[in-house]
Amino acid sequence: MSILSAVAPPVLAVDFVHEVAPLLKKHCAECHMGTKHKGGFAMNTREELMTENDDGFVLTPGDSKKSLMMHLVTSDDEDERMPPKGDGLDEKEVAVLAAWINAGAPWEPGFTFKKSAYEPPLKLKRPKLPAAQDNRTHPIDRILDAQLTKTKVARPAALDEAAFVRRTHLDITGLLPTPEVLQKHLADTDPNKRAKLIQSLLSDNQAYASHWMTFWNDLLRNDYAGTGYIDGGRTQISQWLYSSLYTNKPYNQFASELIAPTKESAGFANGIKWRGEVSAGQKVPIQYAQSVGQTFLGINLKCASCHDSFTDQWKLTDSYGLAAAFSPEKIEIARCDKPTGKIAEPYWLYPELGKIDPSKPPAERLKQVAALTTMPENGRFSRTIVNRLWHRLMGRGIVHPVDAMGTEPWNEALLDYLAIYLVENQYDVKKVLAHICESQAYQAKTQTLASDDESKWTYAGPRAKRMTSEEFVDALWQILGTAPDKAHFVPAKIESPLRVRASLMKSDMLMRSLGRPNREQIVTSRPNDLTTLEAMDLNNANILAAKLESGAKQILATQGTDSSKLVDSLYLAALSRPPTGEEKQISLEVLGAKPSAESLQDFLWTILMLPEFQLIR
Amino acid sequence: MNNRREFLKALSAGTTAAMMARAPRLSAEEIKHPAAKADSCILLWMAGGMAAPETFDPKRYQPFEKGTPMSRILSTFPSIRTAVDNINFCQGLENIASVMDRGTIIRSHVQQDLGSILHSRHQYHWHTGYVPPQTVAAPHIGAWMAKVLGPKNPVMPAFINIGQRLEGIGESEELKAFTTAGFFGSEFGPMNLPFPDQAAASVRPPQGMTPGRFQSRRELLTKLLKNSPHREYMSDHQQESMLRSLDNAHRLLSSKERDAFDITLEPKEVYDRYNTSRFGQGCLLARRLVENGARFIEVTTEYEPFFQWDTHKNGHDVAAKMHKEIDMPIAQLIKDLEERGLLDRTLVIIASEFSRDAMMEGGPGSSAKDQATVKGDTLESPAHYGLHRHFTQGSSVLMFGGGVKKGHVHGATADERPLVAIKDPVTITDLHATIFTAMGISPKTVYDIEQRPFYATLDGKGKSVDSIFA
Repeated sequence: MSILSAVAPPVLAVDFVHEVAPLLKKHCAECHMGTKHKGGFAMNTREELMTENDDGFVLTPGDSKKSLMMHLVTSDDEDERMPPKGDGLDEKEVAVLAAWINAGAPWEPGFTFKKSAYEPPLKLKRPKLPAAQDNRTHPIDRILDAQLTKTKVARPAALDEAAFVRRTHLDITGLLPTPEVLQKHLADTDPNKRAKLIQSLLSDNQAYASHWMTFWNDLLRNDYAGTGYIDGGRTQISQWLYSSLYTNKPYNQFASELIAPTKESAGFANGIKWRGEVSAGQKVPIQYAQSVGQTFLGINLKCASCHDSFTDQWKLTDSYGLAAAFSPEKIEIARCDKPTGKIAEPYWLYPELGKIDPSKPPAERLKQVAALTTMPENGRFSRTIVNRLWHRLMGRGIVHPVDAMGTEPWNEALLDYLAIYLVENQYDVKKVLAHICESQAYQAKTQTLASDDESKWTYAGPRAKRMTSEEFVDALWQILGTAPDKAHFVPAKIESPLRVRASLMKSDMLMRSLGRPNREQIVTSRPNDLTTLEAMDLNNANILAAKLESGAKQILATQGTDSSKLVDSLYLAALSRPPTGEEKQISLEVLGAKPSAESLQDFLWTILMLPEFQLIR
Repeated sequence: MNNRREFLKALSAGTTAAMMARAPRLSAEEIKHPAAKADSCILLWMAGGMAAPETFDPKRYQPFEKGTPMSRILSTFPSIRTAVDNINFCQGLENIASVMDRGTIIRSHVQQDLGSILHSRHQYHWHTGYVPPQTVAAPHIGAWMAKVLGPKNPVMPAFINIGQRLEGIGESEELKAFTTAGFFGSEFGPMNLPFPDQAAASVRPPQGMTPGRFQSRRELLTKLLKNSPHREYMSDHQQESMLRSLDNAHRLLSSKERDAFDITLEPKEVYDRYNTSRFGQGCLLARRLVENGARFIEVTTEYEPFFQWDTHKNGHDVAAKMHKEIDMPIAQLIKDLEERGLLDRTLVIIASEFSRDAMMEGGPGSSAKDQATVKGDTLESPAHYGLHRHFTQGSSVLMFGGGVKKGHVHGATADERPLVAIKDPVTITDLHATIFTAMGISPKTVYDIEQRPFYATLDGKGKSVDSIFA
């Protein structure tokens, strides 16, 4: 033992986050935190704590003996002692407090005990739709036009036909429109042609499922290769996921099958296990609580997996309650990785919706969790998914960031309208997508933003989105005709021959450079910006260069060597529009009358690098 | 710090990256960074578990004799003297021994055994300071340097990772999981150069493209952008940021610094001294990059399960081969940096995820499963002769330059099994604190991510081993 203790870490200084803050919260919150300031004294922040009040200064940093607080918490005088009720601080707590004051009372930077003023309601509230303006009768437009009027922001201009075709293609199927489809749509005289196009894209089950695999793989941290698979510490849910998307499984059922899983869908619930011991806050049942919270409810239980959250209402017992519902064995609650001796009881985050019966076996308990999560009364569930879908289509969440569903939406009516729409349409995700796409709000030009300051943002139309890595690679394959023959993941049941898509491939260097995450953690929004290192890869990575080389040959072989025609058709294929006269002239200067394989490669590269190509507008 | 700000302003997408929903935020409190002792850092990574008793911490030598009880085997190499009186190494490391008077050896580095040995998991722990899995993606220490210090030379990527393939080898997914900037975002991630002799290609126009053609391709882009009918979007910050990154990339690809990536430009006799292996070439590349203002470079002997330092059998022979790979290049690197006046401001670290032992897996009291492939109580064949078990309770770290003492020893391990650290143990957390301190980064540096403060060292608690600094 002496040998082992020789290598133990030295005794550490007092730790505000893990030792002091919980103590202050436990004993002082009732009277001096949040909106409470009994005796004119509040201590939400260090500044408040250090402010002189009726009794003078409460703390003398660096000297616990001179600090009024120490006097009060150790006092034997009943009228004087703090806290006035209960047993007060025990010896160990007194020692921690004294050590903390002696250390100068360090505080967690930016930390406050005060909660945000906004309390999200659990129940959905059906909004009263404002009157339609200028005959824009779609409910989303009625809500947003009213918002624009109120905020005195100009209504965004309507999207032209070709841009609409391009955007809906990328948003619904993740693919560029082919020149044929584009031309056909442009020539169509049916006034209803946009709705028709939306429906036809949504009914292409394979294209839809393949595209949305990207989003769901990120959100459920599923992949075809990754950590944990090496020794069975993780399993794929790819087949289950693909077929669920392919059949447009109602979202409440979809979520239920992940929360109370079958063998095929268990990979999500079982998380990622690395060989060996893990810290208490990362054991599989706790991962379950975190994942269910984040994915389906936009709740961050990561803080509350270690201690009661300092930033929202979630407590250690909430995380452990959900974890205990999952765990076949009893689990002991650990605070900051130290066992507390308390066994966790299965507990549901919103007791007003119902309870988990601890006497039931785990499989039954999980069914209860699924029911409690997906019940229509749980507005948090429906709001979270419609907000994510809105974010995918419109470029920014109604609650933003999309995982912080406890924060205030910029338009409560819109969020609840969409959530109710989902519930009343039997949780049909495609219907929600169609509904959004059919609005004038969606069919409008994107905002131009001079700054990236989210706090100054107001709604003025959709936001441009960076193509996902998968969209970029699919587009590349489509334009060049160089898709691989085989996918790494092959869906079991589809009705038409499989089109190999980037979302069905293992990640590679190019895809990583374009922002595909390794799915160690749940990812709900990818970076919007291209970084310098990524741009280097686009400039010279062999994987892209090789594609361009074989693609250029392919194009010359199949589309002929008339530069003028090639410029027209490649502009149409890549940007969904013909080149302007100037663009064509510039391109032809480089390509000459008959392009060499090299000049064509360079032309292709240039088109791919245009922000117009890489950003979905 | 000025450098960093200028870099961001002039060159990067960093300001716009902050808009990302998940973007980390530097905590409100003013972090007091220590004065930097070094401006560049080279980590020479002995991937796979380098046995301290076979390298820098020799114990009683046991030659190969059939029938010897395994319990007698501590070291399979005789010890040799170094340039410092009280410091001995194992035979085969004569060149590094000759430069020991320029550096410090820590002989009491300890790790956790994590209940089971998985090299990539321990390497994850060593490189990020956090044990996986983590709720947020933990940044590599190189990414911390890139994030906090930025590049030293604005056109030189701040974090360069040499020698490790990330595709097509065992545990590559696990390796990828920590070879990343994590939640800092890929701007601060590594530039990966698995093959040092091909590094030049990654900063050149694509293979087969002449500089002229590369330039005209770029001009075509500029012209098409200028004549785009979508000029209305030119002021859009997202578009701007995308174009700025393309500009930056183009600048590096056309800069004079890119020659630094080409080790074939080195005089042949110098090249030959380094050219023991990919690792040796990596050391040469690292030297050239530091000369041109690189910030953080890792050069690895490469981790591939059951290769290199990951000896599960034939340990002695493999260690002898590894000595040959590392001895000349490391010594030459130290000498070259010194000769160029760079050693004082360059911190060179030689480390591994853990040590090895002939008998003991993990350490005393460990429940880690024995993974040796050749077992038995007595030495029967050369396959058996070596340190085939993973040992986490006493390993060696060498540090040169960057303000560390010269010819100094910190800590010690026992002379008899268990060969645990018996004096001044240094954990990963404290070792990182020491490295960060040398580089002028507070171990308490903290960023908020998903409402959680995330520190440069575990919970901000790393304590720098200041006694090793001169």
